[in-house]
Amino acid sequence: MEYYLLIARSITYAQRMQRALRQAGIPSGILRAPAQVNPKGCSHAVRIGPEDLTRAQNVLSAAKLQPNHIYAKTQQGYEEVAP
Amino acid sequence: MIYFDAGATTLEKPLAVSRAAGQAVRTMASPGRGGYPATRRAEETAFACRSEAAELFGCASPEQVVFTSNATHGLNIAIHSLIKPGCRVVLSGYEHNAVTRPLHAIKNVELTVIDTTLFQPRQAVEEFARALEGRVDAVVCTHVSNVFGYVLPIEEIAQLCRDKNVPLIVDASQSAGVLPVRLDRLGAEFIAMPGHKGLYGPQGTGLLLCGKEHPEPFIYGGTGSVSRQQTMPEDLPDRLEAGTHNMPGIAGLLEGLRFVRRTGTDRIARHERAIIAAAARGLRQMPQVHLYQDPTMEHQAGVLSFTVDGWDCEEIGSRLAAAGIAVRAGLHCAPLAHKTAGTLESGTVRISVSAFNTLQQAEEFVRVLRRVIRENARF
Repeated sequence: MEYYLLIARSITYAQRMQRALRQAGIPSGILRAPAQVNPKGCSHAVRIGPEDLTRAQNVLSAAKLQPNHIYAKTQQGYEEVAP
Repeated sequence: MIYFDAGATTLEKPLAVSRAAGQAVRTMASPGRGGYPATRRAEETAFACRSEAAELFGCASPEQVVFTSNATHGLNIAIHSLIKPGCRVVLSGYEHNAVTRPLHAIKNVELTVIDTTLFQPRQAVEEFARALEGRVDAVVCTHVSNVFGYVLPIEEIAQLCRDKNVPLIVDASQSAGVLPVRLDRLGAEFIAMPGHKGLYGPQGTGLLLCGKEHPEPFIYGGTGSVSRQQTMPEDLPDRLEAGTHNMPGIAGLLEGLRFVRRTGTDRIARHERAIIAAAARGLRQMPQVHLYQDPTMEHQAGVLSFTVDGWDCEEIGSRLAAAGIAVRAGLHCAPLAHKTAGTLESGTVRISVSAFNTLQQAEEFVRVLRRVIRENARF
């Protein structure tokens, strides 16, 4: 497992998620979501390390932020881990 | 030059505004449209600007802050989103054409104008309460009259709207950056404001604060999100922000907002009121001058209108301009406000000030106006 992608409903929402994660000390980056995980076309995602998923979910939940989807990036590709 | 036309646009800005706008021209691309550094810079700047505005204006989330090209743009979005043919709309008697023209463009809208005396907020509240007893689909109200500086009792009007569950649109063109404007306290559906007046941003900027979650889009197009879908995204701010952003404007606006928050709206308001009061004291010494002023300044912001007996207001404006003083004369795009105040035929001369004006400028303005009137009297 390489990293997780938290899919956001907009760039602004992705930035809100990143801000919450940063305040909690969780490193993250924003990127354009790959087409494979992006069936509606064009969205943004927040990338976090494999060790940070549970803590990130707790932080986002506390901040009332909800990713549209969460994908795990593995050597085989992307696998949805949470809706 | 003494610039007393801040009610139209603040000309003097913090230096950081033009610096940031210039830097954005050179270094920023379109936010949300790519993964390269120039888009990242734009995204970070846009988010910082939304966040700064959300803090200042009591928005729970930066997503509620929508970029517009001016207050008129925001008001058009708000009005067309909420008001449909056949709606009954209540509005104050001090609205700008930015409100009345969009309303006029919607067929069969029944308008009730709250026609009340200048600087009499209690009367305004009573009249709004009376109007809201019947069926009302929306209320549109300016916070501060752009002609007279009259501060309408927006908190009380908002309370009436909340009590009756009537959506409220606030035009904060003259109050944003000067008076408390809080989306959370007002509970308004929309608050529209320019970026280029009391927020000291460049022209071509504005903000629309959205209390409603999924407002109807006004402009349709690309947003850099959900691109396969042929309807606009459901979520703010993308839903109302089709097309490329004005990044130089937004970068400048961010610095303007930082200036306002650093300085404090209370301090800016006190400063502006002191200048207006000083100008009014001087003008009151001239018997030919008729002032539209709240002597207590309690219900007036940094805008003052006057007329001079025997003078066309445009002539006064021209003479002052020739003497190096920039004011606005005429109807100020607000014929309804003039009709309400009884100045529709004459218009008025308006001075409007910013954080960058001084008391000395007010004194100089009075001296020049006195000279203009005296010199004319010789002929």
